[in-house]
Amino acid sequence: MGLIFIRTIIIFIATLIVMRLMGKRQIGEMQPYELVITLIIADLACIPMADNSIPLLYGLVAILAIYLIHQIICLLDLNFNAAKAVVSGIPSVVLNKNGIDDAQLKKNNLDVSDLIESLRVEGYFSLDAVQYALYEAEGTFSALPKPDYESLQTSLPVILIDEGKFDQKNIDLTKKDKEYYLDVLRMHGCKELKKVLVMTVAGNGKVYFQQKGEKYEVFHLDWQQQLW
Amino acid sequence: MIRTIASIFVTLGLLLGVSFYEGARVKNTFERFDAVLRVLYDKTESGEVTYEDGTAAEKFWENQKKTLHIWLPHTAIQEIDYQLYEAVGYLYVGDFDSAIPKIEILLGMCENIPQSYRVSLENIL
Repeated sequence: MGLIFIRTIIIFIATLIVMRLMGKRQIGEMQPYELVITLIIADLACIPMADNSIPLLYGLVAILAIYLIHQIICLLDLNFNAAKAVVSGIPSVVLNKNGIDDAQLKKNNLDVSDLIESLRVEGYFSLDAVQYALYEAEGTFSALPKPDYESLQTSLPVILIDEGKFDQKNIDLTKKDKEYYLDVLRMHGCKELKKVLVMTVAGNGKVYFQQKGEKYEVFHLDWQQQLW
Repeated sequence: MIRTIASIFVTLGLLLGVSFYEGARVKNTFERFDAVLRVLYDKTESGEVTYEDGTAAEKFWENQKKTLHIWLPHTAIQEIDYQLYEAVGYLYVGDFDSAIPKIEILLGMCENIPQSYRVSLENIL
């Protein structure tokens, strides 16, 4: 029984570490340790139930061990902030007044298109319409819009450059070519394509442009007509 | 918070209690079964064994295994049953030479089974 107890703790810690390393995308809406408990407890309950050769007590002790771990984590969670940060993680502010925080995105195994998708789900279609956006510790997404955000998203923006790579399909949509956009980049002080974190363009020519490690810029392209 | 702390101590106490009891119970049962088997082995080797000695060992095991089902995987108990019934069967027909290896297997099991329940690194890994 002592063996099952120790092995359960080892599996629990290993699974929790893996879940924490995988980042918030994998977690869903539960705290990482809650998900680990859910995964393990389901299996622990099943094995002695399905296999008659295993004493039922084996499953009960393992589940009791999981309960003990849960209670200890709850106690740490409530009383020690440092422990809470290690076990449950902390919210990640991925978009702030300077624009997208690339380091925070990478830390959570996310990319710019994931952020844009999360913003769209929340009803924000333009990156500059939001003051702050963050992924909570349990993986949900929250965003604080600018007071006049509705006026900032009159046309759907599409991604032209995502982390140094052109999106040819969206470039074709704008009826321009890569050279045109490389000129735009040069005019805004960007000499290398790989330094671009994101560049989106809306149908009215409004561009959201951000270089890696720099503040974002919003400008308008001199388009004669609204394209979409 | 007091409730959480209390539940931690109660659960921990329960788990440690069950662990220690299990270890002691399995060890004690197999030590006693080992003693019974050693007597049977010595008697078989010297040719003084009777069928009744075999059934006495069988009866001892039957009494012990009722509670051992709580602690041991049932397949381990079935394996002991199989070896013991075979050994007693050989004693019934007076084939002592065939009974000795079976009793030796049982003695080995009496040594190995409690060891596999010890809290040790090789058992954990």
